[in-house]
Parts: sequence; structure tokens; C-alpha cells
Amino acid sequence: MDLERERGITIKSHAIQMKYKSKDKKDYTLNLIDTPGHVDFSYEVSRSLAACEGALLVVDAAQGVEAQTISNLYLAIEANLDIIPVINKIDLPSAMTDTVKHQIVDLIGCDESEIILASAKTRAGIDDILEAIVQRIKPPAGDPEAPLKALIFDSVFDSYRGAIAYIRIFEGKLNEKDDIRFFINDSKHQAEEIGILGFTKRKTKSMSAGDVGYLISGIKDVRDAKVGDTVTTLRNGADKPLPGYKDIKPMVYSGLYPTSSDDYEDLRDALDKFRLNDSALVFIPETSAALGFGFRCGFLGMLHMEIVQERLDREYDQTIVTTLPNVEYIVMKKDGEEIIVDNPAEMPEVGEIDTINEPYVKAQIICPSEYIGGMMKLAMDKRGIYKNTSYIDPTRADLEYEFPLSEIIFDFYDKLKSISRGYASFDYEFIGYRESDLVKLDILLNAEPVDALSMIVHRSKAYDMGRKVSTKLKDLIPRQMYEVAIQAAVGSKVIARTNIKALRKNVLAKCYGGDITRKRKLLEKQKEGKKRMKQVGNIEIPQEAFLAVLQIDD
Amino acid sequence: MKETAIYIHIPFCDHKCIYCDFYSIIKYDDFEKYRNALITEIVNQAKIYSADRKIISIFFGGGTPSFMDAEYIGSILNTIAANFNLSNNAEITLETNPGTVDLNKLREFKSIGINRLSVGVQSFDAEELRFLTRIHDAETAVSTIQNAESAGFKNISLDLIFNLPGQSKSKWKKNLETAVSLPINHISAYSLILERGTILNKMVLDGKVKMHDSDFDADLYAFTIDFLNENNFEQYEVSNFAEPGYECIHNNVYWKYKEYIGFGTSAHSFIGNKRWWNYSALNFYLSSINEKGEAAAGFEILDNELMEEEYVMLALRSSGLDLNKFNYRFGTDWNQRNKKLVESYISEGFFQQSDNFLKFTKKGYAVCDEILGNLH
Repeated sequence: MDLERERGITIKSHAIQMKYKSKDKKDYTLNLIDTPGHVDFSYEVSRSLAACEGALLVVDAAQGVEAQTISNLYLAIEANLDIIPVINKIDLPSAMTDTVKHQIVDLIGCDESEIILASAKTRAGIDDILEAIVQRIKPPAGDPEAPLKALIFDSVFDSYRGAIAYIRIFEGKLNEKDDIRFFINDSKHQAEEIGILGFTKRKTKSMSAGDVGYLISGIKDVRDAKVGDTVTTLRNGADKPLPGYKDIKPMVYSGLYPTSSDDYEDLRDALDKFRLNDSALVFIPETSAALGFGFRCGFLGMLHMEIVQERLDREYDQTIVTTLPNVEYIVMKKDGEEIIVDNPAEMPEVGEIDTINEPYVKAQIICPSEYIGGMMKLAMDKRGIYKNTSYIDPTRADLEYEFPLSEIIFDFYDKLKSISRGYASFDYEFIGYRESDLVKLDILLNAEPVDALSMIVHRSKAYDMGRKVSTKLKDLIPRQMYEVAIQAAVGSKVIARTNIKALRKNVLAKCYGGDITRKRKLLEKQKEGKKRMKQVGNIEIPQEAFLAVLQIDD
Repeated sequence: MKETAIYIHIPFCDHKCIYCDFYSIIKYDDFEKYRNALITEIVNQAKIYSADRKIISIFFGGGTPSFMDAEYIGSILNTIAANFNLSNNAEITLETNPGTVDLNKLREFKSIGINRLSVGVQSFDAEELRFLTRIHDAETAVSTIQNAESAGFKNISLDLIFNLPGQSKSKWKKNLETAVSLPINHISAYSLILERGTILNKMVLDGKVKMHDSDFDADLYAFTIDFLNENNFEQYEVSNFAEPGYECIHNNVYWKYKEYIGFGTSAHSFIGNKRWWNYSALNFYLSSINEKGEAAAGFEILDNELMEEEYVMLALRSSGLDLNKFNYRFGTDWNQRNKKLVESYISEGFFQQSDNFLKFTKKGYAVCDEILGNLH
């Protein structure tokens, strides 16, 4: 994926098979899966772990143990995997190999000699890693003669071949043209093609216990090849599936709207197709007074949201407006009704609300000890509740906090990185709902509330937020033919106001024979730009204005 | 006979002004080569295009055409007259820079058939002229116009630039007052455009010069329109004002979407649904004429949609859009397509409409590009 290369991150797991001849001249087949590390994609990690026997715990020699190292390590231990600790990038001038060694020893309680020092860049230690894999990780145990049990650990959609399931065979054998059954939907298909995931897909006739590969069975809907499902043969099949995965639940929600309402159907098609390759994305249609027809989408986190938006634009050519992301609230109404609100616009009137409950997370922040002060201040700004401090080594602290999820989804990660000059890392898990003093902050443009700009904030932050958002909107919304008044309000009370003066001059002075082509092209470009704006009433709002809050610097 | 205009580009200049992005050449001594190439190009194009056309305007632009001898310009004019059907009352304009012509030279230009001068005054203020790096001073600007009148020119236009960095409203007003006190019939008043690649643009980017904000520009522009209206100069395009009957025929060829043929470096032509443009670089132009007898560097074929877009853009920028004419020419109802928007613009005072004629108001001209971007 281009995005992965640009950002230098892994978004999707990648599986590959390699042959290896060990030092004692034995031939091995290794099936490897590269997984993402970011907290948003931890479900990808746990899925992959369930398909493996062992894991390489790769720690950056310059960064040391990070929060996500620890959370992913725990996932691997829970999955009962053999773990091989590796320190990578030892060639870097800033490598602190010995320190990192101690961190790892403290963390997993291994012997220092078990840690392999490596550099993917210089190839140092690569042979040691491969040798360690065959020495230390148990071979797959399954019985090739037992009924087939194959776990789908990933699936992608190919417009020509349909769903391509990536499978790990735990028991039994799968042959090309076998009639097969998927447990979850009890759907029956034929194994049209099976094969190995090398640098390219390589067809094979047969796969058996321990093998990892792909399965194409003419499935048009990727949901029929659900990740976590078990595949077995129709004849002499297994009677019970493998333990599957927990369904993933979105953490943040945001409205996705086409910039032009004519493109609603296109956006729906694009989302449908997108979901084929990203089962974590959920969406349902919704309507906004300001933005028209669109979708409320659930994402695993902010990175996931950004990536979906970016890919919709690049790969599906959808120009979309994304509203400010929010979490899911549980609102207890005075009449005893309990409702779930995943869109600020749907928050009931103040008078109807008894309590609002918001999701909390337990968070782990790991940082060099000199940044503890900065981290604590940041945590306080974000309504964090301090729990505990421990030390990974004498210079690295492990802070435990509880946060409202809503406080950490926006800019928390960026701030954490900037305060700690990139050294702090952060991970979190959901711990439950708690009551909070929350209010709905509305934004009005020319006295009309724009529902898509509403947000739920803590009462103590409403005034400050209202002021900052209106100021930011003033910067982001270009001058229009008419003056635009911006107001921020809680209930009927206006707490901030500013305005955008009307545009008074926009005309190119010259347009003679030689200028006409150029002028027309400028005009077309301008029209193209306007297409990327959302018309609300007679005000043109650029896409990024709907995410104005994200761009507020303190 | 199709009414057609001819544009001749003379790329030579004494020096390059800081705001200029035209193709121009400062050091050159083989003017003959260029003249011969121009003549070849005119003769060759005439074979294709002269048959059913009447030339209603010839415009010598630049560069600095008045930098050349009258004989040089005259020979080109003669070539056109010999190869095209030149209308008896064709408008024949020469772009003239003060400081390149004296009374005598102006008389020569008159005698070879030039009947309209477009004088690149830009400003009557000494400081502003220095800033713009024009070669003339304020006195020369005035005397050039007076000499033009003495030489017998009855149709004189002058160019002025406003919104110069540091220019005050009163200074601009003074420029306009001087302009209307002179024996001229046409004024092109341009808001300074920062063109990429100009020295001025670099100065602004480097922070050496600060441009006014667009509100100040809007104030000057509104003042310009009011002032010139009061002095009997009617606005017939974003930047162009004329006494009744003195609207530039050549300009109107462009803006009323009539056809034109351009000769010389970087010149554009528009015939039927095709627009093409010559090489800008002199050596490319010369060698292309030598090898192929023509010098087109590129072209575009306009489909109906593009032509509609250009037609509306040019009409609205200038004297207005005749809705009947549009419907007749393109067979679609533009007004119906834009009805809601146009009505709101009329009620907001950006457009005025009488019968089937839609025209920008003063307020509308100022945000012309914004509005054009909303119409479809």
C-alpha cells in the first residue's frame, strides 16, 4: 500500500512463506506474518498470533521498549507462543543496545543470551534469527490425517477472483477442488484454487496441517469468508470450528459525507467495496441537516479513520467530508430510557438528560524519566486519572492512567510525541463507561446551527473550546461573497463569536487572446476546488473545516 | 465575410520591467530575420485563412512595437494588406511606450496607417515609475500623449496600473485625474498582478516588497470605476473603459468570441473550435518558420462545453451576456441552468439584468472570478 510506504507503518498484515536450510542441513518451510504495531490495529496482531506458533519480539535499538511492545507481547504470551526477543537497528549511531537488552530481560524474564542482536539494514543477525526460529519454536502440531480445520486469519477482495482467504491449516488436508464448508454461515463452496503466499501467489494442489496459504472459492461477498471463521471439507469434515476471534468493536465514530450530494450512491458503493478488505470498518446511513445524506462510520481509532478517509480518496476517488470523530456515549434519560449516542447531533435536549456516560480506557505511557513532568501535565489537560508509576529500567518510566477515551482520540498521541521528542509511547485498552459532566457545543454559521460541527465536550472545557473552534473556523473558511458570522453555543447560550468578512475582490485584471486558455483552466481548477467544499446554506465550507478542532494548537 | 482580427507580436524591448511576464527580448540585433519570418508566416497563413474573411483590426503588441522603425512596422502592415481583405476602416493599433517615440516618429507611424495608439504609461508618478522600472519619466508620459495628438491620432488609449505596493488612494486618484485631462478616449486600468517568474514576484516572496490586501485593492477598484464613469469613460470590461464609440475593436474580438489570427512569437490564434499558439522562444519560432512555414507550438480543440464556458466567461467579464445570443449559438438554455444562482446574484446586487441581457454591476465585476466559478 502506498500509504504504508509513505508513513513508514504497517496497516495490514502481510503473510509470506520462505524455505530455509538450517545449519545442520535440514530443510524447513517458514510461514511468516508481518503485523502492524499501532494500537488501532491490535486486532490484526491478535488474529495473526492465533495463526502462529511463535513470535519475534522486535525492539528498536534506538527506541527501546515501547508501550505497544508490551501490549503486543502480552497478546503473544496469552496466545501461548514461543517468543524470540530481537533487537533491531543495532547499526544506528543512537542505538543503546545494552540498555534495551536489560529492558527486555526485565520484561520477559529471559536470559540475556537469548536476545538476538540484528540489523535488517546490514543483515547482521538475520541468520541467527532464522536459526533461532527453527531451534526454539515448536513445529506445528496438527494431525494431517484428521478432519480439516483451517483458520481464516485474513481476507482480501479481488475484483476478478472474489474473496481471497488467507488460511492457516491446523488439522487435516485441503486439496484443490475440494468441496468445503465455512462454519459461521454454514455456506458451501469449492476450493477453486489454493496456494502459497510467496512474493507472488503460487498455486498448489494440496496443503496440510501446519501450512499457511490462500484459498479462492468464488465467494463474492467477503463477509462469507469472515476473518476468524474455520474452513472444513464438506465430506468427512470437522464437527467443531477452531476458537474464533472476538468481533472487533469500533472505538471512534465519525460522519462521512460526499461533498456533492449526487455522489451518495457512489460513496455507498465505495464503502461496500472498502469493507471487503477492511472488516473493521462499520457504517450505517445517517442524515445531517447540514451535510445531507451520508454515513456514520465506526473506526478502530484515529489512525484507522485517517487511513480509511485517505484510501477512499485515493483508491476510490471519493471526495468526502469527515465530521469530527467522537466516542459512543450512553445517555440515561430522565424518563428512564437509556440511549446510545454515537453522533453529537443526536444528543437529547439538556432537559431530558439525567446522566451522560462516556467510555474510559486504561492507558500505559512509557517514557524516559525526564519527561514524566510533561506527561503528567498532558494527562491532566486530558482529564487523566493517575494510577501508578513503575520503572522499566532506571531511566524509563511506565505511567498508568485512566482517561476518557474522547480525550485521547484527537491529538493526544501527537502531543505525547512532541512533548517527549518522540521518545514516549502509548497504548490503551477499554475499561468501561463512567458518568461525566458533558455538554453539547454547537457551532452556528449565520445563526444556523451546523449539526456536523457539533461536539460533546466536558463542561469545564466548553468555553475554551468554543472560542478556539470559532477562531480556527475563521481561518479555515475562505472569505465568501457574503459575510459569515460564526458563533459557538452551549444550549441557547452563545459563548464565542467572530465573523468572516465578505470577499470584496477576486478578479484577474487581464484576459486577452493569449490569456483565454490559461484563464479558462484557472476557472476549471477553481470549480474543481469548489467541488471539494461542502455547501451549507449559501456558505462554502472546506472539508478540513469540519475537523477544525483537530487543528487547534494550544 | 467573417470579421477577423490580426495580432502581431513584436517581442523586443529596451529592458525588462519588474512586473512583466510577457515574452520579450532585450538584446538582439537581427531584427531583419524576425521581419522576414513574420512576413513568411503572414503569407502562408493568408493562403489558408484569407478567402472568406475581412480583417477589422490589426494590433501590434509586445514587447515594445514602438521600439521598431515605422518602416519596419509599415512593411508588415503592407504584407497584411496585400494578402488579406483589410477593411477600409480597420482599427490598427500600435502599443507604444513613452520614451521610445518622439513627435516625428509618431508622425511616421501615423503615415504608414496606424490609427490607434495604446500607450503604456502605467503611472504619472515619478516614484511609481521608478518602482515599475519603466524607462520614461512622468513628463515624457504626458508629452508622448500630447505629441500623439499633434501627430494626428484621434484614438488614443493609455494603460495605468493600480494597487502598487505603497500606493496611496490619493496618488492613484492623481494618476486618474492626469489621465482624463489628456486627449485620450480609452483607459485600461489594471490592478497589479503578481505573475510567477517576474522580478516583482520574487521581491514579494523575499519580503522586500509588501502588497496591499485585497480589501484595499477593492477600494481602489471601486473608486476607479466611479471616477471614470463620472468622466465619461464607460466600463466595458473588467479593466477597460472608453468614451462612447471608442471601445477597442480588437479587444471586443476577443471578448465577443470572434476569430483572430496571431503572428510572431507566442501569438495565439482562434479559428472555429481551434486555438493554437506559436513558440515563445525566438530561436524556436525562427527555425520553425524556416522549416515548416508556420510556428505553432501547441493547440487545443474546444468542445462545446469548453466553448460555452469561455463564451460566458468572456461575455460576463466584458459588456455582458446576451442570453438569446447564447441560446442561439449553443442551442442550450444557460439561464435556465443557472436560474436560481443568477436570481440570487441579482437580488444581492452582483448582476443587473435587462430583457435578456445579463451584466455585472460594479460590485459584481470586483468578484467576477468568484461568481464565474459558481456558474455552470
